[in-house]
Amino acid sequence: MAHMMRNLKVQPNSTSLEEARKRTFDFFRMACRSIPSIMDIYNLQDVVAPSELRSSVAAQIRKNSHVSNPKVIDMLLFKAMEELKDIVDHSKQRHHIIGQYVVGNKGQVQDLGTKDEGNSEFLKNFYTTNYF
Amino acid sequence: MGLGSIASRALRSNTLRPGHTNLLRRSIVTTTELRNAEAAQAQPETPPPDLPPRTPVAGARVHFPNPEDAIEVFVDGYPVKIPKGMTVLQACEIAGVDIPRFCYHSRLSIAGNCRMCLVEVEKSPKPVASCAMPALPGMKIKTDTPLAKKAREGVMEFLLMNHPLDCPICDQGGECDLQDQSMAFGSDRGRFTETKRSVVDKNLGPLVKTVMTRCIQCTRCVRFATEIAGVQDLGMLGRGSGEEIGTYVEKLMTSELSGNVIDICPVGALTSKPFAFKARNWELKGTESIDVTDAVGSNIRIDSRGPEVMRVVPRLNEDINEEWISDKTRFFYDGLKRQRLNDPMIRGPDGRFKAVSWRDALAVVAEVIHQVKADEIVGVAGKLSDAESMMALKDFLNKMGSNNVLCEGNGPNPNADLRSGYIMNTSISGLENADVFLLVGTQPRVEAAMVNARIRKTVRATQAKVGYVGPATDLNYDHEHLGTGPQTLSEIAKGSHPFSSTLMNAKNPCIIVGAGIFERDDKDAIFSVVEAIAERAKAVRPDWNGMNVLLLNAAQAAALDLGLVPESDKGIESSKFIYLMGADDVNLEKIPEDAFVVYQGHHGDRSVYRANVILPASAFSEKEGTYVNTEGCAQTTVPAVPTVGDARDDWKIVRALSEVAGVILPYDSLSAIRSRMKTVAPNLVNVDEREPATFSYSLKPESQQKISTTPFKAAVENFYMTDPITRASKVMAQCSALLSKK
Repeated sequence: MAHMMRNLKVQPNSTSLEEARKRTFDFFRMACRSIPSIMDIYNLQDVVAPSELRSSVAAQIRKNSHVSNPKVIDMLLFKAMEELKDIVDHSKQRHHIIGQYVVGNKGQVQDLGTKDEGNSEFLKNFYTTNYF
Repeated sequence: MGLGSIASRALRSNTLRPGHTNLLRRSIVTTTELRNAEAAQAQPETPPPDLPPRTPVAGARVHFPNPEDAIEVFVDGYPVKIPKGMTVLQACEIAGVDIPRFCYHSRLSIAGNCRMCLVEVEKSPKPVASCAMPALPGMKIKTDTPLAKKAREGVMEFLLMNHPLDCPICDQGGECDLQDQSMAFGSDRGRFTETKRSVVDKNLGPLVKTVMTRCIQCTRCVRFATEIAGVQDLGMLGRGSGEEIGTYVEKLMTSELSGNVIDICPVGALTSKPFAFKARNWELKGTESIDVTDAVGSNIRIDSRGPEVMRVVPRLNEDINEEWISDKTRFFYDGLKRQRLNDPMIRGPDGRFKAVSWRDALAVVAEVIHQVKADEIVGVAGKLSDAESMMALKDFLNKMGSNNVLCEGNGPNPNADLRSGYIMNTSISGLENADVFLLVGTQPRVEAAMVNARIRKTVRATQAKVGYVGPATDLNYDHEHLGTGPQTLSEIAKGSHPFSSTLMNAKNPCIIVGAGIFERDDKDAIFSVVEAIAERAKAVRPDWNGMNVLLLNAAQAAALDLGLVPESDKGIESSKFIYLMGADDVNLEKIPEDAFVVYQGHHGDRSVYRANVILPASAFSEKEGTYVNTEGCAQTTVPAVPTVGDARDDWKIVRALSEVAGVILPYDSLSAIRSRMKTVAPNLVNVDEREPATFSYSLKPESQQKISTTPFKAAVENFYMTDPITRASKVMAQCSALLSKK
């Protein structure tokens, strides 16, 4: 995997949305193929399952599903490839991976989801601090 | 003498104009001019044509009891009108000249032994000690002449002769009268070359640290102890240079006001033991607040450094505590650092507490409160609760359908209808006008030390008579122990007791009933007997109200103002849900086994052992709260330090709980809850003003109760430990071990 990515170059821009779409799938496949080695490098076996990492990657891609400009998609793909290369090259540390892709957005941060809905401003403030 | 000092002398004589008239500036002058004081005096004095207006020292105001007795004196050329009998020093204060002094203190008798207040009086051969000299009509006082300056400089030199140079390690450093005055009035050098004398330190107990070598024998502490505290513990031993302050025999100072000697000591001889070497006074942030350890509401300043309360010192309030505070008020602050609750906690099935989030804790409480019947919900406000939180608790439980909200110490069926029936109608400062006191079941010395000090002041000043009904006790003034039980009261009411004639003949009789009586079953009967006595003695007249109740706790008066009256007196026994808001003196045995107990408070005290859920609240030093003292004066505390851990202000907790429980209270801010309080009891927002009661007891319906023969009990067992904060305090524990009388 690593040798494949070592030879990567900035590709010419996608000519159409279809081409950009194809490149996105190619990237997703490449990311999925590198997951076992990432698990090895960062010792993630007891933290996360490969399937969870796959869905995490998919979620990152879906986050940009609204983008329809091929040039923007190319740029996002380039950044994604850069990130993937950093990860595979062990340029990151274990807590980076866990923080970004395992715990992700939901952990650490308090769940401010449905629970506080309908509460008054007073109660929301009350839960965070005494001084308001 | 080096070249430098010669040069500086030459310079000084050039720059200082000999007859300068800038009287306001008190420059630090030494030597040259003073060496030839006569020559300087001989110079013709130019009469000051137009003097800048001067204000009296510290806003001192003169009260002329008798306008014909006004006399006029001249201070530095200023004419001042003063009442007859004032001293020269007081006249100077009114003229706006602050005379340096060590031994003189306005609330103590005059000793005149430090000689620091020497001033020149025209036609007097020698400088006179202004604190001991009565001002005479037409006296011409000069406070800034070379003679007076030289006299002060000489006194300063003698005082510093034996005073150690340990200011860097002295706790008084920075707020020391001797330090300040030697800077302002002292010489720049001393001529003393012998060794300094040293004095053995005395052990005055766990509160007052002594470094007797620093003592300048001003005898303020001796006068304070004998005159105000009323204990003959301190005295003067030896003569001349062997003179020292001591306790005659090895003995602790056993007064509930002993801490005040720290404040009045002008040097670092008497300092606070718990505060020793803890902080320097210039690092401290002072917050003007109110004391909550008793019902007097003494005005205090909380000195804090960062999140820590470092010490408590009194604040002047002539109507309440003058400038004294009790030892409990001064030294209980270390309890604020111990045993604190900092996280909401729920008791698990294994009986151990588990820290949870506020969300979970409030959800559990809200769920349980909906599972019990409305009349099985009881709320108890504690001794230290502020009016805001009591208002919120009462509103919340009323919205839940329960009307069983009570305040600790007010007894099973308190009288909240007539305000005159639970406050001190005479007012604390008004006690000074009384000439006969009748104390009913109250020991003011332990219940409200500042009120006791006021009674003692009156007894000392006017030889007022004091009759006392209650268990044998040690009051520090002359009193007559009339009896121990209510039957003595009936005898006085009937007129068969010898003391009743004393009461009848009194001009301003003053009856003080202790709040310990609220807990008695025959409370109403005792009150009607006392009212009969008041009726006979004409204690309640349009110009004088001598019918008083002395409360015990800071929360009591506000609770009754807000109407925290339980619906039934068996509320706790039949309850299923009890909300204890800082209530630690509830009889926990009475709470049923299956009741769900919520404890909201700041200290892990007695009630926490029984609680199912703990909601951590902030202590009085961390929140803004309104308290009403025993004379009905509303005062507010000011937050001095941040709250501990995840604690919240009391009223906010109740407000948040009300929302989680679905009965939302309509106030979100302190001003909103205060306007709610205003609709219930307008006097609570009238801060710092005493609100007298409108109606007297005469409107009260006749009581059908019979008085029992049970003698009165002492309401406070241990003066030093009365509430959760004082019980957590190490200093208070030491005091009760060493000082409380067994």
